[in-house]
Amino acid sequence: MRTKSLGAALVTAAALTLTACGSSDGDSDKTEKAAEVSGGSKPGQAIVLDQPKAKPDLVLTDTDGKKYDLLKETKGKPTLIYFGYTYCPDVCPVVMSNIGIAEKKLSKAERDKLQVVFVTTDPERDTPKRMRSWLNGQGGQDFVALTGDFDTIQAAARPLGILVEKPKKEKDGSITVNHGAEVLAFSPKDDKNHWLYTTETTADQYVKDLPKIIKGQNP
Amino acid sequence: MTRTAAGSATGVRRRTAAAALVLGLSAVLAACGSEDGGGDSPKLSVSGAYVPQPPTPDMAAGYVTVTNKGGADDELTSVTTPLAAEVTMHTTTGTRMKQVRSLKVPADGELRLATGGDHLMLTNLTHKPKVGDKVSFTLHFASSDPVEIKVPVEPTTYRPKD
Repeated sequence: MRTKSLGAALVTAAALTLTACGSSDGDSDKTEKAAEVSGGSKPGQAIVLDQPKAKPDLVLTDTDGKKYDLLKETKGKPTLIYFGYTYCPDVCPVVMSNIGIAEKKLSKAERDKLQVVFVTTDPERDTPKRMRSWLNGQGGQDFVALTGDFDTIQAAARPLGILVEKPKKEKDGSITVNHGAEVLAFSPKDDKNHWLYTTETTADQYVKDLPKIIKGQNP
Repeated sequence: MTRTAAGSATGVRRRTAAAALVLGLSAVLAACGSEDGGGDSPKLSVSGAYVPQPPTPDMAAGYVTVTNKGGADDELTSVTTPLAAEVTMHTTTGTRMKQVRSLKVPADGELRLATGGDHLMLTNLTHKPKVGDKVSFTLHFASSDPVEIKVPVEPTTYRPKD
């Protein structure tokens, strides 16, 4: 009897052991999987708005230093608008570069129709010249870049659900930036914002979707 | 009388079983400990580092994964590189990007920098890095020794495969 109990106890202990050692590995596996899934099952796909939003009545300055009337210039044309800033090393270049890559894969007729408009959220630092070289550096030679009064830009972004704040200098001298990073797609049919893209959207996704957006259809 | 004897026998058995369990567990702990190389210190390895080619020659981002197989947390406190006069660390929560002084490398976990999340910001670059270049980074930690790595420059839209 005693021998059996001992044996059982040892087996139990060994089993506990394996579980204890194994659990750390198991946990790290779980962490990896959770991270993969957290992006959503299909991240980066177009978000279709139930309530399309009006294109903002925005008159700003382009990279040639000329007045640019957004409503007039893009009327009846498929348009992508992105609010961002060039001193953004992380997501802004990824977003613009993906659009730059996708745009080159469109037919010439499609490219001529599509308007890509970058609006700076940091007009203090983003000069027209700087924005031009930033866009050209990522395949956006024919993209429009606009700058102007910060309050005007913020007011135009707000009804579209794009949060734009001035970079804030903290007490310790560091800078906190708060801004939405969605790409807004406007239909040529009604000049309204029907679709949103996120920083997760790949160039391939844009290649697939843009021909439909150019026709004013749901991608 | 019979009942008492049986009761005491059970008591003995229980003690023996308990002793066996303790022995078993301590062996286990020793085994686990030796694999981890000491449970009380961080044990770091660095992987998946890259710099996306920036659109302008004045700033770039940097990404890296630091895995900690040790039993204690560590912190990435700074990164230095000949490419940039300054490297700052940032976290992103929702839409808010904030500069931080250090990034935690949790025990038995990892610090994974990624687009739209925690990242390095390289400013005042000596030149614009191009796809195919290798950039030297030195990672400095609160407890562990510095780690020097060669970081490839990837296309602007590069995303690591999971």
